[in-house]
Amino acid sequence: MSLFLALLLSQSGGYYTPQEAQQLFLKSNDAFHAKDYAAACDGYRKLVEHGAGGPDVLYNLGTAHLAAGELGPAVLELERARRLQAAEDIDANLAVARTKVIDEVVGATAQAPFFQRLALATRERTLSLGLLAATWLTLACTLLAWRLPSRRGAFAAAALVLLLVSGGLGLGVFAHAWVAQELVEGVVQPATAKVLDGPSEAAHVSFEVHAGLSVRVVEESGNFVKIRLGNGLEGWTQKEGVARL
Amino acid sequence: MARIGSALLVALVAASAQAETELYQTVDRTKVGTEDTFTLEIVVTDPPEGAELQFPTSKDFEVLSQSRSTQASFQIGAGGQTTIQRINKHSVVMRANHAGKLTIPGAQLKGAGKTLKAQPITLDVVAGRLAPPPPPRRQTPPGFPNFPGFPGFPDDDDGFFPPGFRPQEPDIPRNDSDIFIRISLDRDEVFVGEQATLLVTVYSRFDLSNIDTVTMPKLDGFWSEDLATATRLEPTTKEIGGVPYRAYLLRQRALFPVKSGTIAIEPVEADITTGFLVAGQRVHRKSNALSLKVKPLPGGAGKTSNVGKLRLSTEVSQTHVALGEPITLRLVLEGRGNLRNIELPKLSPPPGLKAYEPQITDAFTVLKGQFGGKRVLEYILLAQQTGTFTLPGLSLESFDPETKQYTSSSTDPIELTVSPAANGGTQLSVGTAPNPLDPNEKNQLTAAGLKPLRYAANFTPMEPPLFSRAWFPPAVGAPFALAVLFALGGLTVSALRRSSPEADRARQAKEARARLKAARELALGGKVDAFYGEVERALLSFLEARCGQPMAGLTREALVAALATHGATDDTRARVVAVLDRCDLGRFAPGMGESAAKKQTLDDAAAAMEAFS
Repeated sequence: MSLFLALLLSQSGGYYTPQEAQQLFLKSNDAFHAKDYAAACDGYRKLVEHGAGGPDVLYNLGTAHLAAGELGPAVLELERARRLQAAEDIDANLAVARTKVIDEVVGATAQAPFFQRLALATRERTLSLGLLAATWLTLACTLLAWRLPSRRGAFAAAALVLLLVSGGLGLGVFAHAWVAQELVEGVVQPATAKVLDGPSEAAHVSFEVHAGLSVRVVEESGNFVKIRLGNGLEGWTQKEGVARL
Repeated sequence: MARIGSALLVALVAASAQAETELYQTVDRTKVGTEDTFTLEIVVTDPPEGAELQFPTSKDFEVLSQSRSTQASFQIGAGGQTTIQRINKHSVVMRANHAGKLTIPGAQLKGAGKTLKAQPITLDVVAGRLAPPPPPRRQTPPGFPNFPGFPGFPDDDDGFFPPGFRPQEPDIPRNDSDIFIRISLDRDEVFVGEQATLLVTVYSRFDLSNIDTVTMPKLDGFWSEDLATATRLEPTTKEIGGVPYRAYLLRQRALFPVKSGTIAIEPVEADITTGFLVAGQRVHRKSNALSLKVKPLPGGAGKTSNVGKLRLSTEVSQTHVALGEPITLRLVLEGRGNLRNIELPKLSPPPGLKAYEPQITDAFTVLKGQFGGKRVLEYILLAQQTGTFTLPGLSLESFDPETKQYTSSSTDPIELTVSPAANGGTQLSVGTAPNPLDPNEKNQLTAAGLKPLRYAANFTPMEPPLFSRAWFPPAVGAPFALAVLFALGGLTVSALRRSSPEADRARQAKEARARLKAARELALGGKVDAFYGEVERALLSFLEARCGQPMAGLTREALVAALATHGATDDTRARVVAVLDRCDLGRFAPGMGESAAKKQTLDDAAAAMEAFS
């Protein structure tokens, strides 16, 4: 009945109520334990597509894909979950998935850029809300310091501290914005994807990449995207072969 | 019985009359191909004593073999006289050397002073092979006994060759027709991975004493397995185009193509010795070349590459063990096909059960020319935890070329129960140090495999980041913009205030008040005149600020008039005059240095200022 309901909702494109979402979530968990990974993935994906996603659902979705041996979607969903939540189980299963990736990027830079690491270590929503609050509090303290000469020192100090906090939070938000704009990352989906030396079917095949490999998308042209590996190796591959995070 | 017949024949010959001699020749067909053989039969009836038959010779034909048979017939006439007729038949197997209308000259019989000549025969010869190959004759080559069957597979054919294999009659080469090597395949077309059987046969008109230095082709594009190799020269008789040959099977090899397309097989070469000792002759022969058409497996990429008739099974040594006790799992693959190249499913033991690398044992056999047998992978499993474990069933997908369908062979899951070791955990030692348990007998709790699913979820829609919302940048920038606006407004107001007379007066009044405040500090000191002077200057400065005109130096009357002009009340004017008088008095009169007097002056000055504000 609940599956029928979920199917109906998926057809209508509506959103699940919390009860419906919970039912479908548990049903998908049961399918996972029955080793019906396709059904489990289908249920979790419906939740995501109908506004009931989140790190928990994404984690289960990635884990189900991993159990089914679908490396590309597994890494993709677990990476998405990790971006929403720093958690040990997400990191652990992501590490398992990465050990199964065929490709080894030789000579890859050990550390990601500072802003990328900063973005990964922080939550965008927290930083953005914090920045918003800090800037308005800074203004309030400044006005109070101006209008209340008797407590001018205390309010001025508070305003200064809040200004510094705003600067730090602003840097974090900027890191997220920079990563979102400049650092488009993706995960290779098909078992094998040919990487060409140009955005054309007639171009020469430079090398091949395989499911689950994380790449950076640096350019797009027609049906092709230019990808860059951690060691600087670049090439063009079919757009649909790389799912963006 | 044969002796009785011979005696009767002799008696009849003695009593019979000699019949007339006849000579004629016939062929078994009049239209042949250049690759076909045909038989010329020359019949001589009642040849005279000492007659010599001359066979027809022509450069248009080659003679492959000759044979002769004789028969006699008896005829009893009306007078009881018997007539004996002797018939000599000569069979000559021939082949045309080229196409066209070719004539076989007539055979000649010379004897008794005369010569008989048979009629020439004209043949219509076309290029190639015209006659269909003779029906196959099944035979078991010598030297290769029948091979044992595969367990579990029905023996659907009793012959030596694989099912469907009908060996074709080889072509006799134009040169070296006495001894030649032929390689043949059991089929012209196979799937990738399907077996094709290659036979290497030596055909000879004579007995052979040795075949050596056999050079086999490289067989690029194939995975090959030797099915049989001749260890002794044991021929079988085979008639090719009517010509009897001794056939020696040298090699039989299973070929498993590894790619699709047409794959060429190069000729086989060998040195062949005929006869014995000094009569022997050693010749070198090279076989024909072949090609095999290989079709890709149906279904394309993503399908299994395993090909054959295969079956998978598992056996375990025991299903109940103590911790630390090994379990032997035998994964058995059996059937027909290239077993060496079959990709077996990987054993995935559950966490807590460790599987060591398997030991592989092969027992390959050949059944009816088909390569197959058994491959056994023997795993040693060692439980690292107590409990019940389920080894998942394994499934092997393969393509059966006989049915041209994909099939699957699966094994059942196996449940294993592991109990604590006999001395594990419950063994108590008194007076001696406890013996450490074997590491294998420990219930090892390790973190491995995937982390479990989450059972509670906080469903949150995937929203775009806040910084990408349209309202976010203005909301963050607004406080800074407002601060800047406030600052600019304040500065503007200040600047405006500074430039007006009203502002000047206000500033002056403010300074005056500040001065009065400074005078309070002077009141604490001992300088009385300085105190009163400061109070007077403060008050006058305040009045100048309020009235906008100089006040110092005015007489009391002029001062009062000016104050009145600027709206000061009588009381205010009186207060001001009183304070000024008090300041004048304070500088000279004794007793005004008292603190009470100073305070009174200050209070009065402040009150006057407040009254005129």
